[in-house]
Amino acid sequence: MADRTPDTGELTYTRVFEAPRELVFRCMLEPEHLTHFWGPAGVSTPLETIRVDARPGGVFETVMVNDSDGSRYPTRAVYVEIVAPERIVWTEPDSGVTTTSTFRELGGERTELQIRQANAPAGYRSPEARAGFATSLDRFAAYLEKLGGSR
Amino acid sequence: MTVAEDRLDATFTALADPTRRAIVARLARGDATVNELAAPFDMTLPGISKHLKVLERCGLISRTRRAQFRPCHLEGEVLDTALSWIEENRRVWKERFDKLDEHLRALQRAPSRQRKGSYRAGRSARKGGGDG
Repeated sequence: MADRTPDTGELTYTRVFEAPRELVFRCMLEPEHLTHFWGPAGVSTPLETIRVDARPGGVFETVMVNDSDGSRYPTRAVYVEIVAPERIVWTEPDSGVTTTSTFRELGGERTELQIRQANAPAGYRSPEARAGFATSLDRFAAYLEKLGGSR
Repeated sequence: MTVAEDRLDATFTALADPTRRAIVARLARGDATVNELAAPFDMTLPGISKHLKVLERCGLISRTRRAQFRPCHLEGEVLDTALSWIEENRRVWKERFDKLDEHLRALQRAPSRQRKGSYRAGRSARKGGGDG
């Protein structure tokens, strides 16, 4: 699913949704929508655990709950930028991971959502480090996975 | 931040450089000396050594003390930790996208939008499309 990884990319995930851009944008920002999809398979994100203060510096917090054993995974992020209905950027202070969601209109009420993650911890985000990530860490990972057995 | 997270951060920082990624890719095929590693790069030995030190510091590679040539060895376990983080992350976003897709379909099936079917035409033909 990272086939569209641009050269400026870090880790990039892209999906096209059959829905107007405003709606997809709201889904990524409003708790009553986030609760439906934020947890991956087998994991729920109860509405009451989601905190969204949709402005730069505002919090974005969730608690993902494992459906089978009840273990809880809190996530904590802070919004950096919100440009409706084009872009949402948040950063996780604990890990330094910055996530940029970009919403692109494709016509016919189809919307491309691209998630771009910079994984360099905050203290290391030098231009050199950024340039390194720009050559696509996930392609590198895929390459190494292919080598697999020889390690 | 936990020790494991610190380690992972250091690993990603080390992997953020294309030369170091190339070195790791070379070592994934087997141990090599500094001279062998330097050969494909337009770089001095001290330049390569600097990169090797970064890789050594985060535990991605080790160098034996016994031999004069001190071949470099890739520590697969450390690399695997970084790779599985990437893999896990990819899985989480794929599954979120799957659920969001379902949620958007449900929203648009709601009565108020039921008549507005034009953009839904051909939807099934494109099912799952876009993440190819």
